[in-house]
Amino acid sequence: MPSLGLPIYGQQSGLDARRWRTLEEHDAGAPPASREFQPGADLAPEGLGRRSFLQLLGASAALGGLAACQVPREKLVPYVRPAAGVVPSVPGAYATAASDRGYAVGLVVTSWEGRPTKIEGNRDHPASLGGTDAIRQALVLDLYDPARLAGFRHDRRDLSWGAALAELGALARAHEKDQGARLRFLVEPTSSPTLADLRARILRRFPRARFDAWSAFGEGQAREGARVAFGRPLDAVHAVGAADVILSLESDFLAHDGDPLRHGREFAARREPANLNRLYVAEAGFTVTGGAADHRLRMRSADVLGFARAVAAELAGRHGLGALAPLGAPAAGPHAKAAAAVAADLARARGRSLVLAGAAQPAAVHALAAAMNDALGNGGKTVTYRESVVFDGAGGGVRSRLGALATELRDGAVDTLVVTAWNPLHTAPAELGLRESFPEVRSSIVLAYREDETVRAARFRLAQAHFLEAWGDLRARDGTATIVQPLVAPLVECTTEVDLLAAFAGVGQLGAYRIVRDGWRARAGFGPPPPPAAGREAAASPADTNRGVPRDPFELRWEEWLSAGLVREGAPAPATVALDAERVARAIAAVPAPAAGLEARVVPDARLLDGRHSENAWLREFPDPVTKLTWENAALLSPATARRLGIASGDEVELARGGRKVVGPALVVPGHADDSVTLPAGYGQRVQGAVGRVAGFDAYPLRPADDPPFAAGLEARPTGRRVLLAITQGHFTMEGRAIALAEDASRLGEAAHRLDELRGAQPTIHAPADYSKEEYRWGMAIDLSRCIGCGACTVACQAENNIPVVGKDQVLRSREMHWLRVDRYYEGSPEDPRSVSQPLACVHCEAAPCEYVCPVNATVHSDEGLNEMVYNRCVGTRYCSNNCPYKVRRFNYLDYRGTVAPSLKILQNPDVTVRARGVMEKCTYCTQRIERARISARNVGRKIGPDEAVPACAQACPAEAIVFGNLNDPASRVSRLHGDARRYDLLHELGTRPRTAYLVKVRNPNPELA
Amino acid sequence: MSALFTPRANGIFKAVLVILVAGAGGTVAALMGYARVPYGTGQQEQIQQPVVFDHRHHVQDDLIDCRYCHTTVERAPSAGIPSTELCLNCHSQVWNKSPLLDLVRASWFSGQPIPWVRVHRLPAFVYFNHSAHVNKGVGCVECHGRVDRMAAIEQVAPLNMGWCLDCHRDPYPRLRPLEEITSMTWMPEGDRAQLGRELARKYDVKPRTSCYTCHR
Repeated sequence: MPSLGLPIYGQQSGLDARRWRTLEEHDAGAPPASREFQPGADLAPEGLGRRSFLQLLGASAALGGLAACQVPREKLVPYVRPAAGVVPSVPGAYATAASDRGYAVGLVVTSWEGRPTKIEGNRDHPASLGGTDAIRQALVLDLYDPARLAGFRHDRRDLSWGAALAELGALARAHEKDQGARLRFLVEPTSSPTLADLRARILRRFPRARFDAWSAFGEGQAREGARVAFGRPLDAVHAVGAADVILSLESDFLAHDGDPLRHGREFAARREPANLNRLYVAEAGFTVTGGAADHRLRMRSADVLGFARAVAAELAGRHGLGALAPLGAPAAGPHAKAAAAVAADLARARGRSLVLAGAAQPAAVHALAAAMNDALGNGGKTVTYRESVVFDGAGGGVRSRLGALATELRDGAVDTLVVTAWNPLHTAPAELGLRESFPEVRSSIVLAYREDETVRAARFRLAQAHFLEAWGDLRARDGTATIVQPLVAPLVECTTEVDLLAAFAGVGQLGAYRIVRDGWRARAGFGPPPPPAAGREAAASPADTNRGVPRDPFELRWEEWLSAGLVREGAPAPATVALDAERVARAIAAVPAPAAGLEARVVPDARLLDGRHSENAWLREFPDPVTKLTWENAALLSPATARRLGIASGDEVELARGGRKVVGPALVVPGHADDSVTLPAGYGQRVQGAVGRVAGFDAYPLRPADDPPFAAGLEARPTGRRVLLAITQGHFTMEGRAIALAEDASRLGEAAHRLDELRGAQPTIHAPADYSKEEYRWGMAIDLSRCIGCGACTVACQAENNIPVVGKDQVLRSREMHWLRVDRYYEGSPEDPRSVSQPLACVHCEAAPCEYVCPVNATVHSDEGLNEMVYNRCVGTRYCSNNCPYKVRRFNYLDYRGTVAPSLKILQNPDVTVRARGVMEKCTYCTQRIERARISARNVGRKIGPDEAVPACAQACPAEAIVFGNLNDPASRVSRLHGDARRYDLLHELGTRPRTAYLVKVRNPNPELA
Repeated sequence: MSALFTPRANGIFKAVLVILVAGAGGTVAALMGYARVPYGTGQQEQIQQPVVFDHRHHVQDDLIDCRYCHTTVERAPSAGIPSTELCLNCHSQVWNKSPLLDLVRASWFSGQPIPWVRVHRLPAFVYFNHSAHVNKGVGCVECHGRVDRMAAIEQVAPLNMGWCLDCHRDPYPRLRPLEEITSMTWMPEGDRAQLGRELARKYDVKPRTSCYTCHR
């Protein structure tokens, strides 16, 4: 291997930027020598030894011979009346939307004969642009969850929906006499116009009733910050792509804050060498956004305001932005130099810069960010403000949102409490006493998807429909509305929030479909519907399109909206705002100075959010984008803090603050701020299902009673016990060779020609196969510069390719089955490293080492160069996996399907074989999608179009980092990327000629901070 | 002391050895053979359907095109099994009192589908696509045989991988003009393989034999 000037993982290079993946690896100075195969990789499946296996084999062969004569014939069950628009064996796609903190994320869902299997983003939707995140990808699993709630229950009596509706109606009537003075609603923040109408109707009927909105990690502080700055609670909409310099004040805007999918797309477009932006991130925990930063400034969450004020002071003092003078305060401490450099950079990019504040930061930080954007002239360019379309109750912090209700509950002033917010007993601060007062409410009505603590304590329990079973509507941040349309009739007896609120509005008998549709008819200015049809026409289903020209002109508009996934109406214009600097200054002054001591930060988990996805096994097994921890949470802290406290990764620690204690494992995270402990919430709920019970601890008790969700005063001490953490990062190491490359933009020119040693032909004794004559030569390019490391591709691949979940025990043995993993490499010191994320699946080598060693030809090459895995030939020798230098093959050690619930069987993608035990599997480049595109193209005698065959990972990627296509088409995007100056091949020296090429990550550091 | 084994034992020992070796080999050969003979592939099986549907009558007497009932054969992987509604397109008018059609009418009024029995079975890891074949000139009769002469549908082709590959490697003798795709009786004049080669050029027939063509 020739020595290059490039920083190469595992090698001392000219830049001395050695990459490493775990702290153990960093301290040892080299990747562990014997870790090519994980401990346990050679173990036989337990429970069934070789001997008993052979015995069973003999017996089953004998019995099988007999049984084979009598294979039962399958039944072919056609429709009685064919469903309109459904062609058996051809999947359909329908537009709908899922809620992300109350806002719409437009989706297109694939459905096989009325059975949704795969969620994709809607290209035309402003909050998706075609991308999705891991959570949205995994939502389809919830639909088929065998443990979901079903039916309606009142004090242990099971009710039909009709009976439940009657009881709810009677309950509502009883509240009429005092105008609903003892009626309260606790709902999720939502942008749904239909729910807004229903709320208004209910408040007209019960003027003294009240709606509160609750979710544990809302955007209340952001809107409160806008109220401070501009006098109204507005939503800031950030045009990330228009900004040359971005300062994030603990805003994880690429993964969690704002419209992360749109931000990711826009941000990635600015990470190509010709068009680089620069990102500064000030944060405590290591986030996805922090990993994408050019400069990551680690500091406690409480110190972020001080840093922001230092930047403001620099802008005011040196760069002539006098408006910021009363808001700034000179810097002190380690980040003074950075503050000056950031300010200079921001000032150079007036009107092309952007300051964002994180949702966890107090309103003062949001207000200060607004003031800085205003002073920098970014208003209307990189940031616009819009009237919030989300109903957020009283808004603001925990106390203003939930305090009044908690007091009323404690005083017994509420007779009926309707809860549609997710599990408030688990997420609300314990100081509010909901756990004690909620069970005392005479009629507590809870609408929930799964059994949880709040459901247990409720008198009236209603099973909630999945969003793929329900009618509804949602708005995106910019006001664009989407009708949420169901893809499948409810699989269990359940209802929706629309139906529940309609029961209180007195229109419960209408049903959600009528309510949503009639609401939109009125909003679109159509008159009342024509009188209902009679006879056969009336019996036709609403989806029946065989009815000719509809009698109702609204019908055409409605169908248009449903098929586009967008309601095309004039989007409201951005608000005009005027900054009130004095109020911002007062708000900043009101923030107490950061207290000394260990800071506890309770944050929404990257996978479970506030805990609502706790029972989703795909998300549980999905490695956290930064820590690569699966299945559970851990107290995350910096190496220096861990040393000071005498804690190592995997130590169980007791964490105490304000008289409350929790016990959980610690995990040392390089790059975490010192004196701060990040505690992902959502785990360890008091009532959990089979998935949630696996592992994790509840971090909510350490959350302060009011926002912000971080505070000093944490005490941590090891208990002396150890916890085995299932972290995938050390798995499948590649023995320290040129893997994930990153380079500063200024040095890219000199590095580019040295990259030639990592691409092009390698000497070989075999004449390489010539694929240039083939019609298609499939290939992939992954631009590390665009990749933000969010991991949406991993879950998209899991959903598309029927990849099983294996459980924490199996992950500990490194038997996870994800075909596509996202490796995260650190570079630099463990205290303050930079990171590179690298998605890696089978690279489809043209000279594939796996193929030479398979004794049964189970892995072979196709005429178009795909490395094919033939499951029905595989006998499970695992030679291929051992010979694979990329470690991307996955073996079914156990029968991960044997015990799967019947409802989960219909989740499987019928286009992909479900693999049995003892079979090797790996990325196929989504060959089923290639074949589908090929057949539909060839049936009409044309070639496969440029973006027609798109694998699931590329389709899901919000950053468009993964590009797939035909390398024999010189005009294809993938061909251009394969010819890019930044292209290199992974483990090029082995001569495997991989079809997946990587593009070097480019960083754009500020020379002043070098 | 007499010998432990009599001279006969040698013969028995040799016979046992032969039986063991031949038995082992024979078992494998028998299983492989079984998978290849019509009895093993299911070609000889007579299958009773819930409704006595006679293709002879519908194809020969009524001259109904295959695609009238198997509607999606040109555009989907599955050829499509007709819905009850499709049966009643005609049978609400003709033979609408026939006891043979009791089940069809019962299906219509009860909403319960007719449980037909699958005759042509492919393994679960085979992804066959009707449209890909029909649009490239492979006629119905090539795989399904003279359906117009069958009282009840039976499997005429072995449907094993070797049989698939025979055609994928040499499709020409089995191609026909698209106009004749559902014809049961079409025969070209002259050399069929030669015509097939011309049709292959015309329809851009390029059958592949890579595994992922059929297995995914």
